[in-house]
Amino acid sequence: MEFVSPEGLRLDGRRPMEMRQLRAKIGAVDKAHGSAYFEMGNTKVIAAVYGPREVQNRSQQLNDQALVRCEYTMANFSTGDRRRKPKGDRRSTEISLVIRQTMEACIMTHLMPRSQIDIFVQVLQADGGTRSACINAATLALADAGIPMHDLVTSCSAGYLNSTPLLDLNYVEDSAGGPDVTVGILPKSTKVTLLQMDSKLPMDIFENVMQLATEGCKAVANYIREVLLEKTKERQKFHGV
Amino acid sequence: MAIAEPTNNSPSYIDKLVVPGDVVLDLSSMSNQTIKLGGGLRQDCDSITAMKAGMLRFSKPNKYWVESSQKRYVPSAGDAVLGIVVDTKAENFLIDIKGPALAYLPVLAFEGGTRRNIPKFEVGTLIYVRVVKANIGMNPDLSCMDASGKAAEFGPLKDGYMFETSTGLSRMLLSSPACPVLEALGKKLSFEIAVGLNGRVWVNAAAPSTVILVSNAIMNSETLTSVQQKLMVDKLLQRTQ
Amino acid sequence: MEQRLASTWRMSVNEKKFIESSLLSDLRADGRRPFDYRRLTIKFGREDGSSEVQLGNTHVMAFVTSQLVQPYRDRPNEGTLSFYTEFSPMADPSFEAGRPGEFAVELGRIIDRGLRESKAVDTESLCVISGKLVWAIRIDVHILDNGGNLVDAANIAALAALSTFRRPECTLGGEDGQELIVHPPEVRDPIPLIIHHLPVAVTFGFIGKESIMVIDPTHLEEAVMGGRMTVTLNTNGDVCAIQKAGGDGILQSVIMQCLRIASVKAGDISSKIKNAVESFNTERALRKIKRHSSSSAVEVSEPAQKGGTELSRTHVGRLNSTPEESGVGQSNGMEVDGKILQQETSRRDSGAQSFIGGPSSW
Repeated sequence: MEFVSPEGLRLDGRRPMEMRQLRAKIGAVDKAHGSAYFEMGNTKVIAAVYGPREVQNRSQQLNDQALVRCEYTMANFSTGDRRRKPKGDRRSTEISLVIRQTMEACIMTHLMPRSQIDIFVQVLQADGGTRSACINAATLALADAGIPMHDLVTSCSAGYLNSTPLLDLNYVEDSAGGPDVTVGILPKSTKVTLLQMDSKLPMDIFENVMQLATEGCKAVANYIREVLLEKTKERQKFHGV
Repeated sequence: MAIAEPTNNSPSYIDKLVVPGDVVLDLSSMSNQTIKLGGGLRQDCDSITAMKAGMLRFSKPNKYWVESSQKRYVPSAGDAVLGIVVDTKAENFLIDIKGPALAYLPVLAFEGGTRRNIPKFEVGTLIYVRVVKANIGMNPDLSCMDASGKAAEFGPLKDGYMFETSTGLSRMLLSSPACPVLEALGKKLSFEIAVGLNGRVWVNAAAPSTVILVSNAIMNSETLTSVQQKLMVDKLLQRTQ
Repeated sequence: MEQRLASTWRMSVNEKKFIESSLLSDLRADGRRPFDYRRLTIKFGREDGSSEVQLGNTHVMAFVTSQLVQPYRDRPNEGTLSFYTEFSPMADPSFEAGRPGEFAVELGRIIDRGLRESKAVDTESLCVISGKLVWAIRIDVHILDNGGNLVDAANIAALAALSTFRRPECTLGGEDGQELIVHPPEVRDPIPLIIHHLPVAVTFGFIGKESIMVIDPTHLEEAVMGGRMTVTLNTNGDVCAIQKAGGDGILQSVIMQCLRIASVKAGDISSKIKNAVESFNTERALRKIKRHSSSSAVEVSEPAQKGGTELSRTHVGRLNSTPEESGVGQSNGMEVDGKILQQETSRRDSGAQSFIGGPSSW
């Protein structure tokens, strides 16, 4: 199947190095201490953060840092066929672990010992790149909750089909069986914190694809910064000078 | 088994290996004597049986005990052990000494300790302490002073490297005359060492390579005779120089 | 809460600082250099498809079994490969019995991705009847002792077990040609799996603020490290899978450096696996020859038994070829002549044990 036409257009009309449309809204969940809604093309996710608050399970309390918990679920209606098990299957467990460890890298946990931070991410519509959208949404939600962080974490995916590196794969391109590289970076230092890859790729092509995904992450970072600055300005108007 | 000849057992088992169930003493043959039983022995009506596998020892005038080597430590009063701080409470520090329960170190149990100068130990500090009380069923009590109230080298240990061994090996390291491994190492290298009877050993030296050499040499010497130990140390030293 | 605190393994601040500072002089706590692997031993059980790997103090076992199942609807021509892990609490006090924890799921998925997505095992050859019956290969890995770096050890165990696994041969037979006959191993030799390449996992740990890389972290180093990355690659220069799930950030150049080092290590490990598998296969072949010589000695004493198994026929045929040299005419090795066999029987009983020696024993 052809994923890149001879003119260089992909199935949805994008160029190989073009990302999908990004949209973000902060404060989507009223009850949560911080929340955000993030869209990457047709992938829509919502993230809610609670904390820092008292540890619910005293035996898991850490005396020198905050306990970070994360739960990734996909809504039953998020994919084409109705999903019978939204959470608890192995893929969700792994992605929960991945998101938790990625966010732990940027949260300053030692400033909040003996407390707990919960991150809940739910995928409302899945069209490829759900992992990246979840991390971006979680970053916004954590910033909204005012939890101290070293840096933002942004994520984007890239692939390699028809001998072309493609940025931000959608579901059809993802399930084509080609390689799928998901990268999460800390934008200020461009250090890579999350890197996942499956399928086979020669090493030099992998470097190009990873580079492309990193550029995508930087673009997402710029967008997230803008959204955050706008929201903060809005809030300052009510509280401030 | 041993019931057939009760009276001949007492002299023949001293300094010999016993297994659980062996009757080592028959009290009906001794009268008007007080016998002190140490670890590993239990009284069963008129006979003393071994509870642990090990070597039966006797010290004048009347102490019997079984010496065995395990990975876990059974706290007993008067031992000097290495503990790790787990938590700080109002009255005590909670210390882990590799025993069945955590031990309490009162905050005032330091030389010249008053309410005003309570030391601050962070979680994970390594401390050289003395076991004061170790009753069955209660958490052991520790102290950073010796019996007369002096500090005598008890207290937190800075830098260096700690590793775990069996209780038998740590007893051998503390035996006098000096243990062959330590003697052979001490001839060529200079280092500081603290041995806890609970199977923890702390080594410190100027260069990390010395520390690594010493720790690996000690860990390897568990089952070697004194001649083999000297050879092993020589080989290790040759390889690094 | 105190009960739980008393039973977990604890680490002191001194150990953490020592590991970080000795790494600055390129030394690790057990005397290795940063890019050295621990000693690796690969052993096999008597059955095909079972392996036992010891990497330093880490001890794992892997078993491969196969079953005939219906294929997935969207892949009617391919067999399936599934990977399961068993984290027994005897390996580490922090493992809990029952449901696999997050770490067990992550390990299973890393190895699963490395094997399945990179098409290391040929799944199309596992198809028996398209759309109805395919072979499902199931790999079970049991962790016996956790000394650190379970991913690499489990991966090596799985690869070794897959390389020595043989599945029964099956043919379509019966009246309408649609019935499936699965031949037991005594009748027909089981067939090995077709493995295109060996995806080897190499795990890096990043310790300290400078994120110094170490390969094959021990249990102690795992507790101290700030980030971990597992790279799965094969000896053809392909990267099959990468897993770096959060943790400290590292630069892209460092990632490429890790990949280059990993490809060298992967080459070492693949050759070790291949050598171990080869020696196991030669042993297996030797064992088979010994076994068949004893079985054919029994058959030969009843030459009237017709419809004997193919195997005994071929072996008797081989035994019969030697009488040609001694001048006893025998046209077709396959046709068994009772009389000649009876002549040979007496010599056979003494010579059966030394059959491996071949014609020279006659």
